Amino acid sequence: MSGVDLSSIVKKYGAFQVVHGIDLTVAEKEFVVLVGPSGCGKSTTLRMIAGLEEITAGDLTIDGRRMNRIAPKDRDVAMVFQNYALYPHLNVADNMAFGLRIRKMPKAEIKTTIDDVAGILGLTEYLDRRPADLSGGQRQRVAMGRAIVRHPKVFLFDEPLSNLDAKLRTQMRAEIKRLHKRLGVTSIYVTHDQVEAMTLADRIVVMNDGRIEQIGTPMELFNNPANTFVAGFLGSPPMNQVKGVLTAKGAKIGETEIKIDGVTAADVGRAVTVGIRPEHVALKAGKGTSALPIDLDLVEPLGSEALLHARFDNNEMVFKAETHGDIGHLSGVTDIHVDSSLVKLFDGETGQALNLGG
Amino acid sequence: MANMNLYSRGDKLFVYINMALIALFTLSTLYPFIYITAVSFSDGSAASAGTVVYKPVATTISAYKYVLSEPLFWTSYVNTFIYTFGGTFVSLLIIIPGAYALSRPQLIGRRFFNLFVAFTMWFNAGLIPFFLNMRDLGLMDSYFGLIIAFACNAFNIILLRNFFEAIPESFEEAARMDGANEFQVLWKVFIPLSKPAIATIILFCMVARWNGFFWAMIVLKDEQKIPLQVYLRQVIATLKDDEEFGLQVLNFSYSVETVTAAIMVCSIIPVLIFYPFIQKYFNKGIMLGGVKE
Repeated sequence: MSGVDLSSIVKKYGAFQVVHGIDLTVAEKEFVVLVGPSGCGKSTTLRMIAGLEEITAGDLTIDGRRMNRIAPKDRDVAMVFQNYALYPHLNVADNMAFGLRIRKMPKAEIKTTIDDVAGILGLTEYLDRRPADLSGGQRQRVAMGRAIVRHPKVFLFDEPLSNLDAKLRTQMRAEIKRLHKRLGVTSIYVTHDQVEAMTLADRIVVMNDGRIEQIGTPMELFNNPANTFVAGFLGSPPMNQVKGVLTAKGAKIGETEIKIDGVTAADVGRAVTVGIRPEHVALKAGKGTSALPIDLDLVEPLGSEALLHARFDNNEMVFKAETHGDIGHLSGVTDIHVDSSLVKLFDGETGQALNLGG
Repeated sequence: MANMNLYSRGDKLFVYINMALIALFTLSTLYPFIYITAVSFSDGSAASAGTVVYKPVATTISAYKYVLSEPLFWTSYVNTFIYTFGGTFVSLLIIIPGAYALSRPQLIGRRFFNLFVAFTMWFNAGLIPFFLNMRDLGLMDSYFGLIIAFACNAFNIILLRNFFEAIPESFEEAARMDGANEFQVLWKVFIPLSKPAIATIILFCMVARWNGFFWAMIVLKDEQKIPLQVYLRQVIATLKDDEEFGLQVLNFSYSVETVTAAIMVCSIIPVLIFYPFIQKYFNKGIMLGGVKE
């Protein structure tokens, strides 16, 4: 079926290697998001799948067919570009019809297809307009329309929303998700925005420095990050990470101890990085919580919650706690209560997640 | 100029001086046209006496009557159209694919080929070797010879190559994803996006061909193949010593000067008609809206 399989994919520019042997299987109809910081190789990987970059080593198969040496036009994939890449000399209808005309689809069929897709994307009244006469959101919709009309086996999205303003981005994100549900086409989506990744993906692939750090569903990655990089990349604000040492009862950070179950005698004294999600705290003590004495620096009210910027043991930390709008008393040194069961531990040297007792 | 009060006195002075210089330059460019037109409609004796300044003296169209009744004028006029349109068409056939190829990063030996083309801009074989080359290739005294020998122009290739290189790569990539092959990328994307550059090249080629004189004079022996500029030279060179023409001048009100001027005006008219049609392509912003920058 229309799955995509990457096996030991390598990309080199001369002696400079940007992708270091990636293995990834995207199932049919799956929506996979490649996410990572700038320069991590995610766009290069996508462009190799598209056929716009040569694959230095490894195998790429789409729908079971090896594609390494196949031209983009023969891969039956469609791509939505970050900068839209609409043909400025053609109107919306002609932009969408471009690929169909090249494939010599009959005129009547082209018209029907374009009318259908324009209807889905809300572009019917703009079909005669040129890209210059459209807003950013409309242009991006045309770019998606151009991909959809071809009924490809795979959709590739290269940061399609990064040029839109925040409100439009949220709207378009929802539209992309709806479209995927409706069309059910295998999709690979590249972004550096972890919110896009979390909201859109069936599975997220976190990349860093040309390598895959972790693959999993959004909640798997959020709840069980494989290492400190993934932990710091997903979540907004990101996970707080502080250095500590394992004790018989848990983890000691500076003079404060957080209770953690499952520490064995062999683990005691081991250097760890303690990961605390900003959301996993409360201003009042509860069952299974450990108090952290933090020095509040700044409080940003968000309505019923607030972002608390604080210092703890020479670390800058951010917490998100329910305040119900009552923030007047929040200042100076105060205790914040961490849900011990949700604290994550990573090896102090390698940064890999620790599975205590596992 | 509406916001002129935002400028300092020095800035205003600078703008006024510039405007005065531009006006002077425009006038100096325009005056020869005015003068030639005035002479062409003047009486022959007035033109010979040099009394025409900017408007016709003793207005007459006799020079035009003479010119338009000459069969060789019409033949050379048609020839000029053949050299101009044929030459420009063949030039575009060579320049556009050449420029596209040189603009492609994937062209093997791209640096060498670019240098190879640019080299001919700075150094060429020279007059005599070029003439001998044309002669040995059998390109003398033929329409095809004159057209093909000057069809390839390195300057125009480099001009268009630079324009092609400035077209965002994502247009080409989008076209490739849409299924376009190399030729379709050129024909359906690059050429439409390069209309201003191609219009410029068309204008360069056409003006050069329309005014082409020297090589046409050297290469063409058959009077029936000469372009208008060579015909004009013939008129200037021969009519003064032509007894029959001398007798006609006595009877009619034209002279060598007015006939020459009338031919010149006739040769300018097509350019004046053609330019406004091509001017609309010299517009900026053809790529507006295609990519988000």
